Amino acid sequence: MYNILAILFKYIFIIIIYLFIFSIIRLIYLDIRSMEGISSDNRVYLKLINRKESLPYKIKEYYSIDKNITLGRNNQNNIVVKDPFISKKHFQIIEDEGEYYLEDLNSANGTHLNGDKIFDAMQLEDGDIIRAGQIEFLFVNR
Amino acid sequence: MSKKGIRPKSPRNLLFVFEILALLLLFVYEGDKIDRLTLGTGIGLVIIIYLSNYILTKISYGDNYIFLIVTMLISIGIVMIYRIDSSLGIKQLIWLSIGIFLFFLTYFILKYIRGWKNFIYLYIIASYILFFITFVFGSRKGGAINWVSFGGIAFQPAEITKLLVIFILASYYSDTSRWKELKYGPYYLMGIIYSFILLLFLQRDLGTALVFYGIFIMIQFIYEEDRKLVLYNIGLFAIGGILGYTLFDHVKIRFQAWLNPWKYIERQGYQITQSLFAIAEGGFFGRGLGLGYPDFIPVVYTDFIFSAICEEMGVFTGIGIIMLFMILVYRGFKIAISQESLFYKILALGISILFGIQSFIILGGVLKMIPLTGLTLPFVSYGGSSILSSFIALGVLQICSEEIKIKEEFDEQRD
Repeated sequence: MYNILAILFKYIFIIIIYLFIFSIIRLIYLDIRSMEGISSDNRVYLKLINRKESLPYKIKEYYSIDKNITLGRNNQNNIVVKDPFISKKHFQIIEDEGEYYLEDLNSANGTHLNGDKIFDAMQLEDGDIIRAGQIEFLFVNR
Repeated sequence: MSKKGIRPKSPRNLLFVFEILALLLLFVYEGDKIDRLTLGTGIGLVIIIYLSNYILTKISYGDNYIFLIVTMLISIGIVMIYRIDSSLGIKQLIWLSIGIFLFFLTYFILKYIRGWKNFIYLYIIASYILFFITFVFGSRKGGAINWVSFGGIAFQPAEITKLLVIFILASYYSDTSRWKELKYGPYYLMGIIYSFILLLFLQRDLGTALVFYGIFIMIQFIYEEDRKLVLYNIGLFAIGGILGYTLFDHVKIRFQAWLNPWKYIERQGYQITQSLFAIAEGGFFGRGLGLGYPDFIPVVYTDFIFSAICEEMGVFTGIGIIMLFMILVYRGFKIAISQESLFYKILALGISILFGIQSFIILGGVLKMIPLTGLTLPFVSYGGSSILSSFIALGVLQICSEEIKIKEEFDEQRD
């Protein structure tokens, strides 16, 4: 009885160990992908214009936009930027019927779209430049 | 952040299933003889590992994979150790619980106490004291004086010195300008590390000496600006190796047993040939737990645990263990690369190199790829001091994986 079980279990153990390794490698793969940038199937994203190395805090080169995203210093935001000139909740980008709108969330230093400070929700076009604090993003919508 | 979507839920559950199945197998194996203690500790293991993995994802924003990988390794190890000797298995469980406790303790100590890079003299003095203790109170086990026992608990001081060496190297290379002002500044570090290696040689603890050397040369290779020092180091290693071979008999014996163990099968080559027999006996899928003869291999539960695992759980599990170590070291390097603070960067690098080199030396040894030197396989082998020091190292690595965020919070409080 035990022998049969032991022989059966050795196969199960090997399968589990390899599934474990596989799932960890998959998670690492996803992690690297989100670290390196965006996948090719994402069409709407923000690209950092500043040189990443010049900023003294953690920031990514690309942020993909699914539906609505918020940016701010607070950890609850989708994009967390620990810039001292950025408010806890700084701005948000909202999707509505395929169009994207930029809205300032009463930030202390304001949000600039193509150099102008915004007061209302503004529609975003491909190639727009969003500035908040020291950082500048290029909005890409292909 | 996008990280939320990829929480490592699935591997954690797989680990859970693995342990439950192992426990089930144990039930059948022991039959009615099973006692409360065994059952209690077995269930305890499952709960401890699952809970600590769960808690870690809650308290730490850093890397979630390294602890998961390590708990998988340790689960495989405990199953095997328990199968070889059930009392050792229970002891290993106790060590594991203390190890996990120390992991969290190290994590919190390093998180809330700063300025570890200023204590370089303390690390050096502590290392020498540990060597001194080993020489005075040490006893000889398996050819090397590296065991010290206090009140019935034996431990290897070299396991702690390993970590201290990484701290010494990290605090030295994160602040080189301070040492450059001194005359012959860079040579002091070399002198200190070489004195450690010499002391280990005198204790006949060749494996640990090799680990020290490996960590030193790799970190020096990456961070030393004066490239000729690296060359000196490699040259000295070659000379030291040749001298060691000609002067010390035990080095020569190991080397010969590696080149042709069949010739010395009765004595020096006995361990390695038994190990090879066991691995060959297991084949790809192994004999099944409890159906092999791991007792034939000497020191099977520490140095040769890998051969026993290969015999009973198959070469595929062996390859799996090697892959787990590779992922662990890869994660360590990734942590080191993304770390901003130089001191913690070197710490993470040193610890990854420690895990990598130590597992390479002992796995290579039992597979007859390189001459055999006695070392434990980190996290898998039985051994209190080995488990504890490995968990402390892992705690340091965990803090290295999230240091950036702590620094940011600190900055935020300031404004």
